[in-house]
Amino acid sequence: MYIVIVGAGKVGYFLAKRLCLNKHTVSIVDKDKQLCEEAAKELEALVINGDGCDPHILEEAGVNRAEVVAAVTGDDEDNLIICQLAKEIFKVKRAVGRVNNPDNEHTFSELGVDVPVDSTKIIAKIIEEEVSFSDFVNLMSFKRGKLAIVRLDLPNDSPVIDKQVQDVQLPPDSVLVSIVRGEEVIVPKGNTILKPGDDIIALTVIGNEPQLLNLLVGKL
Amino acid sequence: MYVIIVGCGRVGSELAKLLSAESHDVVVIDKNPSAFERLGGTFNGLTLVGNGFSLNLLKQAGIEKADAFCAVTNGDNTNLVSAQAAKKIFNVPKVIARVYDPERAHIYKALGLDIISGTILFAAMLRDKIIESRFSSYLIEAKDLGVIEIEVKNNLVGKTIQDINIPGEFLVVAIRRLQDVIIPEPHTTVKAKDVLMAAVKVASLPGVKEKFNL
Repeated sequence: MYIVIVGAGKVGYFLAKRLCLNKHTVSIVDKDKQLCEEAAKELEALVINGDGCDPHILEEAGVNRAEVVAAVTGDDEDNLIICQLAKEIFKVKRAVGRVNNPDNEHTFSELGVDVPVDSTKIIAKIIEEEVSFSDFVNLMSFKRGKLAIVRLDLPNDSPVIDKQVQDVQLPPDSVLVSIVRGEEVIVPKGNTILKPGDDIIALTVIGNEPQLLNLLVGKL
Repeated sequence: MYVIIVGCGRVGSELAKLLSAESHDVVVIDKNPSAFERLGGTFNGLTLVGNGFSLNLLKQAGIEKADAFCAVTNGDNTNLVSAQAAKKIFNVPKVIARVYDPERAHIYKALGLDIISGTILFAAMLRDKIIESRFSSYLIEAKDLGVIEIEVKNNLVGKTIQDINIPGEFLVVAIRRLQDVIIPEPHTTVKAKDVLMAAVKVASLPGVKEKFNL
């Protein structure tokens, strides 16, 4: 696959490196001359020193034959414009834009970026999971944040301990996906009995997670 | 009118003052709070510090009831993103963005945004001043129509406007006489030192110049 990456900072550089390793053809664009020199030294990629918001520079980078354009600079407005130029002018099939400020994610999807990647939110989530004292972690959201996979540890005083799954009245539009007990992964059935310390993974509609937490952990 | 202006630089602040003086409701947004000093003491609109395409800030600025939105920061991409947010997410009826880069200006104009490119206008204006005498194409945003100023000298003195006009090519629309401006009738007679302002097709410009000895 031919991929144009705009932004040769840490994200762009490592993305290019990984894609090259996976035998994709990559070109990388950055305004900063020094970043370009480093990229040229280390990567087997076409490196263009210039403003990726300039259509001529994108052309030089081979956008006309690119299947994907990934705009991963530190500026949200630049990333959005690059994605729009790629799609509107060069008819690139897929435009991936890095969102630096989570507030802008909605704007990205509204204004035609196929895949907005909210780097800040993703990192914040991972860190939150690592430091969180809460037993409840949102692993991932999809369908534009309408649906989520959540994980929680069943505490000893949970109201559902020693109950069968079929006897637990889950909130609407929620389902238990799996239970991790020690090394064992259990796909829950009606007669599966919940134990303290069970690591529960559930799929739920956003908005119902407090009810789910209330039911399984009994804290709210 | 309720107008939101993003960018309080020279243009943004000047626009804000003009509109505010005409009693319009104006909200100015800028990242840098010290930019609002340009508004001076008489500005009575609202100022907000922050990013001009933050949806929350735009809501705070009252974008849902705005009649017009104008993005005039010094960043083309910021202006383009703000303007698109105003137009496509909040459906503001009138949205204008300033874009320096002629290329992006053309592209986004073609995509349906109302773009003003100072670069294109200013370059056209300078070109007119350098190459043409008293001809400006920048006044009217069209490639094929311009406005020309002609000072009345011997060969035109005493002629009527209908003698001077060339149907379909050249039309005198105003006469500047001393301090006055006259909108002429067909039989109005021009005097020495009048300055005629006329609309002219760019294609007819050489013929017009020849005819009037310019």
